[in-house]
Amino acid sequence: MPEQPSCSCGDTSAQTGKKRNIFPCAGVANVGQLSNLAALQLTEEGFGAAACMALLATGAEGLMKSIGDADEVIVIDGCPIACGREIAGAQGITPDQHIVVTALGIAKAGSREFSDADVETVVSAAWEGVGRND
Amino acid sequence: MVRIEVLGTGCAKCRRLVKNVEKAVADLGIDAEIIKVEDITAIMDRGVMLTPGLIVDGELKVSGRVADVNELKEILQG
Repeated sequence: MPEQPSCSCGDTSAQTGKKRNIFPCAGVANVGQLSNLAALQLTEEGFGAAACMALLATGAEGLMKSIGDADEVIVIDGCPIACGREIAGAQGITPDQHIVVTALGIAKAGSREFSDADVETVVSAAWEGVGRND
Repeated sequence: MVRIEVLGTGCAKCRRLVKNVEKAVADLGIDAEIIKVEDITAIMDRGVMLTPGLIVDGELKVSGRVADVNELKEILQG
């Protein structure tokens, strides 16, 4: 039987794209919670691997090694305060892509509610590369 | 008109590549036909063994990954 094409979904190696670490700010406001869910969905879609922003703040050795091995670091902040980017910067890391949820037209609110469409907006932005620094 | 074929069996990455292509085409304002090739035999016939794939005017440009919108714009602008 001839070899069949294979799908690269689930494979985040450099051969099929880029090895990426995704750090959501995971703040308690709606946009922070949205950043977390978007990072998890991006992981499921094979974009990269979500990791804990809080762990990054500690400078944990294992995580720093993982970042060193990655091709790209993506930070998803909920709002322009950009806590995630600040935390990354404190560890000497400049994100290759920095996405701010409110910059995508999603308002920061007191509630923790957001829609599936909001998640899709943030996930699409990462795939599109809208937060890229180049 | 630019003929753009996006090759993939309908998985998440294939859908993302289609969306990025649509965005790049819209941003550039070019006249393009976007064709989704989902049949596995048709994909093999085009020599692509790792999806998603992107063929522009018959030339394979991307295989096995999702190009972002900026890269797609560069590809489409030649």
